[in-house]
Amino acid sequence: MAIKSILVIEDDRFIGEMYVRSLKHEGYDVDWVVDGHDGLVAVTSKPYDLMMLDIMLPEMRGPEILKALRGGKVDKIPNTRIIVMTNFDQDDESRMAMQHDVDAYLIKAEITPRKLVEVIKAFDKPAPVGEQ
Amino acid sequence: MAVEQEQTNKREPLIRDYWRRYRRTARGIVILMEIVVTLIVGLSLLFSDIDPSGTAFWATMAATLLATTALNFFILDFLLTPLRDLAMAVTNAAGEKPTDPLANPNAPRYSKNGFKPLLQFIYEHAHDEESAGEEKSGSKTSPQLKRLESALHETNTGFIIMDAHGKIQYANHAAPVKHDTDDSLQLELLFETNNSFENWLANCRETAVRSEQSWIRVPNRIVGDEERRIFNITANYEKGSAAEVVIVAYDATGIFQPEDDELDFISFAAHELRGPITVIRGYLDVLEMELDDQLQDDQRELFKRLVVSANRLSGYINNILNTSKYDRRHLQVHLAEENLGGIYDSIKDDMQLRAQSQRRLLSVDLPSSLPTIAADRSSIGEVLSNLIDNALKYSNDGGSVSVTAATEGNFVKVSVTDNGIGIPSSVIGNLFHKFYRSHRSRETVAGTGIGLYLCKAIVESHGGQIGVTSTEGQGSTFTFTVPIYSSVKDKLQANDYTNAGLISSNDGWIKNHSKYIS
Repeated sequence: MAIKSILVIEDDRFIGEMYVRSLKHEGYDVDWVVDGHDGLVAVTSKPYDLMMLDIMLPEMRGPEILKALRGGKVDKIPNTRIIVMTNFDQDDESRMAMQHDVDAYLIKAEITPRKLVEVIKAFDKPAPVGEQ
Repeated sequence: MAVEQEQTNKREPLIRDYWRRYRRTARGIVILMEIVVTLIVGLSLLFSDIDPSGTAFWATMAATLLATTALNFFILDFLLTPLRDLAMAVTNAAGEKPTDPLANPNAPRYSKNGFKPLLQFIYEHAHDEESAGEEKSGSKTSPQLKRLESALHETNTGFIIMDAHGKIQYANHAAPVKHDTDDSLQLELLFETNNSFENWLANCRETAVRSEQSWIRVPNRIVGDEERRIFNITANYEKGSAAEVVIVAYDATGIFQPEDDELDFISFAAHELRGPITVIRGYLDVLEMELDDQLQDDQRELFKRLVVSANRLSGYINNILNTSKYDRRHLQVHLAEENLGGIYDSIKDDMQLRAQSQRRLLSVDLPSSLPTIAADRSSIGEVLSNLIDNALKYSNDGGSVSVTAATEGNFVKVSVTDNGIGIPSSVIGNLFHKFYRSHRSRETVAGTGIGLYLCKAIVESHGGQIGVTSTEGQGSTFTFTVPIYSSVKDKLQANDYTNAGLISSNDGWIKNHSKYIS
């Protein structure tokens, strides 16, 4: 299942536009919301192939959104991949906890838009494995 | 007894010998006097015309002998007993074994005749001497020793003595030591390389008779701790000596602390710089993607220079952040099975671009046949890019830089070679120190002086080693090793895939790491 639709949840306008613009340039169908609450509503109301999630967000922080979506017994968005984008290294514990639930954990300073596109394209290459 | 006598002859005269000798002489003299007195009495009787065969003569003689004997016994006892008790008390006070039992000062007659305080004074004085002797390991405290001790107490240079079991026997006031849970003293020093003191000591015990080693810039606490001090350390080892290891810790906080504060400030500033530089690099990327088919060739070149510079700036910022992280002993890394070629791929574009824009030829040969390594991907990527960046910087125009790798024992050894200006042998030992920059490079080449320090930190946190060989004017080769995954797999699994098992076997910082995580 190739990735086509992407939801970007990012409150920083500069960073958000950077991702959105480059992803659109690559032909993806991109929606962008700037706070955590809207993000949670958006991702549960429309089936996205990929969600890009910032950690520090107004209204609702990234980890809380993750918990609401995948913290229970049932994965509320089983067909959506998740990339967590963070400003800096979290301490190992919270990082490990989040990594368990997401498909990629990227540090913004290390990932330029071009590399982000590479990461997303890499999702398409192997046949999607039935992760939980 | 005979043996003892012989020993006394050989030894210096002892205090305890006096008493017996004196008593012997006193008794001898008394007996002699008694004989003399009896003889005089006999002679005077003879001169008085008393019949020597008569009863009166012998009765007087016998009475005289009896009376003088009794008198002498009494006088001897009366005069000698206090002398004996005094002699024994002094013998005891001098630390010798008394030949006769020590007198009890509380005996009624001593209380009565006032001898008690005299004896007690000697006994108490002897006790003071003893306990003082124990504290100062058996020696009597001479004024010189006292002076030395108060000097050691006052100086701000730490002074530590260890015995052959590695136990701290003495530490002065300024010494960087702490009380362990069982109240024993432990060194409180955070060496740049974990366990480097312990390793040195173990090595000395095994191979050396005498050895000396120095470490510079060793803090006792992590950054931010109020009691943090920074020392230059010299340790001396002498096998079999009562003070087997002597550590002198020269407090150089005044020299190093300003630099650390500066780094602290810089790392704070670097955090702030990270946001904008991320945006700059990102938009350059976006623009390049969007403008790809509209740019002229020379504009494309300008674009590349923008990208290279932005990437380099980003690299410096990362170096600074990671250095302060390492200084705080936060560099616990999670190691995973990685492919060296794969790691290089993640920095490849950036490196090639840098080489191109500086007109250097960068050739990288990391065959896929190399075994996988145990590595933290981004950290080893940083080591590679720092070493390559250095090699590019210190190369001549049109020069070449080559990166190769080969297996060596349980490690993969990576070499970064340039044909550049090389490094004078006089400065090569300082290269991996923080902030070190040779005079020459200060003037001609940009840099922060922490790149190599960080490389060393990262490589050692992987359990590897970093080194350099260089010929001035001909170029340098930097090499580092990273463990082959299969050789450390078990250790990694046992430690939750952290580097703890690779770099520390005893009380290293990694073990205590959790207390430093904020």
